[in-house]
Amino acid sequence: MNRRKATFTGLKYAAAVILLLISIFPYIYMVLQSLAPWDQVNKVFIPSRLTLRSYIWLFTGTEALVAKPWLRAFLNSVIVSVSSTSLMVLSAAIIGYALAKLPFRGGAFVYNFILFQMFYPAVILLIPTFLLVKAFGWFNTYWAMIVPKAMSVWAIFMYTSFFKSVPQEIIDSARVDGASEWRIIFRIMVPLSKSITIIVALFLFMARWEELLWDLVVVQDTSMRTLNVLLATIQSSYNPYPGPLYAAATILTLPILLVFLAFSRHFSQGIRLVLGK
Amino acid sequence: MEVRGWILTSPYLLYSLVFFAIPLAWSLWLVFTNWNLISPRIDFVGLDNFVRAFKSARVHAAFFSAYRIMGFFLPMVLVQSLAVALLINSLPWGRAFFSVGFFMPYLASGVAVALVVRGILAYNSPAAPIFKALFGTIPNWFGHPVLAVFIISLLIAWKFSGYYALIFLAGLQSIPHELYEAAELDGARFFTKLFRITLPMLYPAFYTVLIMAVGLCFAIFTEPFMLTGGGPGRATHTWYLEIYYQVFQNLRAGYGAAISFINAAVTFTSVLIVRRLMQRWGRALGYE
Repeated sequence: MNRRKATFTGLKYAAAVILLLISIFPYIYMVLQSLAPWDQVNKVFIPSRLTLRSYIWLFTGTEALVAKPWLRAFLNSVIVSVSSTSLMVLSAAIIGYALAKLPFRGGAFVYNFILFQMFYPAVILLIPTFLLVKAFGWFNTYWAMIVPKAMSVWAIFMYTSFFKSVPQEIIDSARVDGASEWRIIFRIMVPLSKSITIIVALFLFMARWEELLWDLVVVQDTSMRTLNVLLATIQSSYNPYPGPLYAAATILTLPILLVFLAFSRHFSQGIRLVLGK
Repeated sequence: MEVRGWILTSPYLLYSLVFFAIPLAWSLWLVFTNWNLISPRIDFVGLDNFVRAFKSARVHAAFFSAYRIMGFFLPMVLVQSLAVALLINSLPWGRAFFSVGFFMPYLASGVAVALVVRGILAYNSPAAPIFKALFGTIPNWFGHPVLAVFIISLLIAWKFSGYYALIFLAGLQSIPHELYEAAELDGARFFTKLFRITLPMLYPAFYTVLIMAVGLCFAIFTEPFMLTGGGPGRATHTWYLEIYYQVFQNLRAGYGAAISFINAAVTFTSVLIVRRLMQRWGRALGYE
């Protein structure tokens, strides 16, 4: 009986591992193809030897149709995603604190308005926001990609609900000690909510890094495109060079995966808080 | 307190004014005009945009493609995520590891994944011999309307199943153990426990997942944009593709805005219907 149970458990692990491998197979395929010699790209699952030629070609290639747009695109992605995410997290922590811990007249209205905005269909705002950004003269600039995405009502909501559970005594005693609101937010509230901050920041960064539609329409210059948009729009002209495309896809995907795996310790706890809302 | 609260929330108020209230008002005006983004002339056309959209074959295609994708996507993602959640939950150790692992597809950029999928499904790919052995021929994946919808749905299901699995997993872990112990005393077997305890107790998780999954089907852009361009024969022509095409290719801002209103209304109604159905099921199970 015990033996049967052990076999069954073993089978379950085997099934879990196989399913997991199928799940991450696209990643494995992508990385292997990006490292394959060019005569083997898209022809074999596992290349006979590995080479960095696709990566080198991508960043230094003289054969490129457009001169080295990839490095610039990667930098664009970093600039846009890092500033946008920092602003979203920062503003959400401040506003969430005000809504959760500073009772003020009208606060309930602001909170309800945030809820309304969360469920309001964003698609309706796409076109007018595009026109607005164009009217500001932000077409083809970083501003267009950062400012409209500098605040997230979802993040504000997350912080508000999490901060509500922080005991009021902690804040009161900090105030008695003469701490400013600023200090309370960034020295007490945010450190107390580490796991939620990590998950919120990760989700926001990922969404920003992988945004396609918005970044596609507000930028036309190749030099201003994010890596995601560049990879999406350049594929047809790179048809003879599938290897470098896989390399670009790997460079696009790997940062997110690595950040995620680095923080995966906090993941289980944080995700439960996020899903619980 | 009063003043501080308003000062700290003022960035949000400013942001909402500029990037919510103004665009909202603008969109309400846009839908009644025929503005084409270039012409200095803007005519007020009343409900013309809506009338045209209701008659447009492209909009009809978008309307139906959402439900076609849903028809594949919902069963796929529910079975996958539920299976993964049940499997992870039954493991004595390593649950955190597998949760993280199965969540990884959610992190992928649709653009990168589309590239990989196109490579794998290509006529001369390393996978082609496998398809040939399985189906007798190498399917023209994106040339056949049903296959194209299937592939797009599969991709989206792949992306979201790990995420939804976590919701189910949280639901599974909140089911009291005593229920199973009592059922085992009564001699209940695996399937009895699954259908009489697990699935009904997962109702809140089903509710969350279904609402999210249904809403998603009306906002698909990346996968068809990258892989099918809406084809073949508009089988995968989604709402967002149509809006993108009308506004940013045809420059018909007013018409595009009207379509986005219709899209929002259709999404809202569909989600509402699913909600009602779920609530009916919930009441039958004794949930409020």
